[in-house]
Amino acid sequence: MTTPLLAVRGVHAAYGKIEALKGVDIAINRGEIVALIGANGAGKSTLMMTIFGRPRARAGTIEFDGHDITGVPTHEIARLRIAQSPEGRRIFPRMSVAENLQMGADATECSEAEREAGLERVFALFPRLKERVVQRGGTLSGGEQQMLAIGRALMSRPRLLMLDEPSLGLAPLIARQIFDAIRTLNRQDGLTVLIVEQNANHALKLAHRGYVMVNGLITLAGTGAELLQRPEIRAAYLEGGRRG
Amino acid sequence: MSATSARPSPAAQPSGSAFILKKALISALVALVLFSLMIGVRTEAGPQGGLIYWTRFGDLAALVATVFGGSIVVELLRQWWGPVDKDSIVPKPVQSAISFAGRWLAPALLVFTFLVPVIFYNQRYILDLSILVLTYVMLGWGLNVVVGLAGLLDLGYVAFYAVGAYSYALLATNFGLSFWVCLPLAGILAAFWGVLLGFPVLRLRGDYLAIVTLAFGEIIRLVIINWQSLTGGPNGVSGIPRPTMFGIPLTPGDDGLAAKLGIEFSPTHRLVFLFYVILAMALLTNWVTIRLRRLPIGRAWEALREDEVACRALGINTTTTKLTAFATGAMFGGLAGAFFATRQGFISPESFTFQESALVLAIVVLGGMGSQLGVALAALAMIGGFELFRGLDQYRMLVFGIAMVLLMIWRPRGLIGHRAPTVFLERNQAISSDLVKEGHG
Repeated sequence: MTTPLLAVRGVHAAYGKIEALKGVDIAINRGEIVALIGANGAGKSTLMMTIFGRPRARAGTIEFDGHDITGVPTHEIARLRIAQSPEGRRIFPRMSVAENLQMGADATECSEAEREAGLERVFALFPRLKERVVQRGGTLSGGEQQMLAIGRALMSRPRLLMLDEPSLGLAPLIARQIFDAIRTLNRQDGLTVLIVEQNANHALKLAHRGYVMVNGLITLAGTGAELLQRPEIRAAYLEGGRRG
Repeated sequence: MSATSARPSPAAQPSGSAFILKKALISALVALVLFSLMIGVRTEAGPQGGLIYWTRFGDLAALVATVFGGSIVVELLRQWWGPVDKDSIVPKPVQSAISFAGRWLAPALLVFTFLVPVIFYNQRYILDLSILVLTYVMLGWGLNVVVGLAGLLDLGYVAFYAVGAYSYALLATNFGLSFWVCLPLAGILAAFWGVLLGFPVLRLRGDYLAIVTLAFGEIIRLVIINWQSLTGGPNGVSGIPRPTMFGIPLTPGDDGLAAKLGIEFSPTHRLVFLFYVILAMALLTNWVTIRLRRLPIGRAWEALREDEVACRALGINTTTTKLTAFATGAMFGGLAGAFFATRQGFISPESFTFQESALVLAIVVLGGMGSQLGVALAALAMIGGFELFRGLDQYRMLVFGIAMVLLMIWRPRGLIGHRAPTVFLERNQAISSDLVKEGHG
């Protein structure tokens, strides 16, 4: 069995005295899309942030490509080409679309040719961004901002892309476009993706495998299709979500 | 001002002028109600102790008319200067003239600045004032790195100005080092203090950062006052040597510049020399800032101002980014300080009060945070304008307060709120980012 690209083993993390992760184990293999679903406050985003070293794991190990990155400073983790599209998009509102994308490329030393190739890839994926390349980030619509956030993350040519709630606050049609783009990235470029979502239905249909998180613990794991069939998942995340 | 003469120009749209008139009428009505008792009726204690009153309807009418006219002017100005979210009532030729002026303003200003000593050679006062303005331009550009680009609100910038000034003053008077040797040393020392300030405030933002930097500025000043044996305390340092032109002093003696060039000595020579020194230093500050903005470190500063969390997610080392911003800003402050010391020939802690920090910060904010041209214009307006209104005595503070409030109402992002992007792709586009309103959602 090959080692997974990312292996999180028994990770605990806390904000002050409040323990957000209570021994989480997940593994992401190369070329996989893994979805992490769960209710508000389950610790999904915390897990993503902990992989990035903020907050630091209090116990357990995080391995990326066979190297222990548990204690590596945040900015160096990004240099290992783990990219993150943070929750709430967090693009740079007063900087232009081109500058936002350049910020993603700045993090990793990349050649001019690699930068050009990266830009082309992003524009092929999200043609809307190309149209708006001179606009300020803050003038984009929510969906375009999400595209920009993903595009910015892609500019660092990541080996692992982590997306925190990419469909948050988007119209269903736009959310579908975003998910389609993620699927394209995975199929065509073989990109490994960890996606944190509340929209369990979309995320599990997209993902090869999924984890369900409740109160800082992984309670269920399986392929996306399996999880979609589980009655407890349907009750907790699908029917309830649809009603709301 | 009479109400009729202030009517909107013929180019105004009917709905626009009706709206303006309505607004002005309402303002006038409010003024009438407010002032009818305050101004219209005057009461006073009479000779027998009884209350007597008389009416001043003439004054009242004048005041209401002023409010009416003023409100029209204000509304017109707002539509001229305000955000472009509705059809502008400014006629097209005026608009194109403004944009033409905008494009050529910076080069024209630069050429004019170079010619100032030629044009005003015989006017010592103007030369002195220009040197002062340029010093503040440089300080503004230096602080702009910290506040405008990196978004770190620094209320203690004067500390680095003081460090630079005292570095030069003490090195020159104690060790006899020349200005040109001390200048880089002053810059390095100030940058060092910038890093020193940076460390404790790494985790702070906004208000908290402002308070700590404010305290830092005061600490430096108090240390200077109390460390009598080194700094001379409140007496300051005097006899600071004047700068030489590569070793040639600008003095009337036989080895002076005038004698060497075979021209008659004039004290103006030194002023002109100082003028070009500070101009060169300010332009260096500007050039370095513009260059840095195009490098990853400058982009990281701006990104840090926009969103610190996103910066970390992108692998930016926020610690070094903040520290370099503090160090770069402090270095320019220190260089300006060294120049200040050599120009004055005497420095004391009184020159480095909080008021200086506030003034430089006001220049940066009024100019438009991050805009180099805006900061230069604001320095000219603040320092030059302040001198211009010297005749107004105590009212000039009032005038400046009002001017600042009005500016912040109409130009909330400063004189030049436009931010020029630094990354360009091959394909240029017709839409400028300024033409598009900010959207949410």
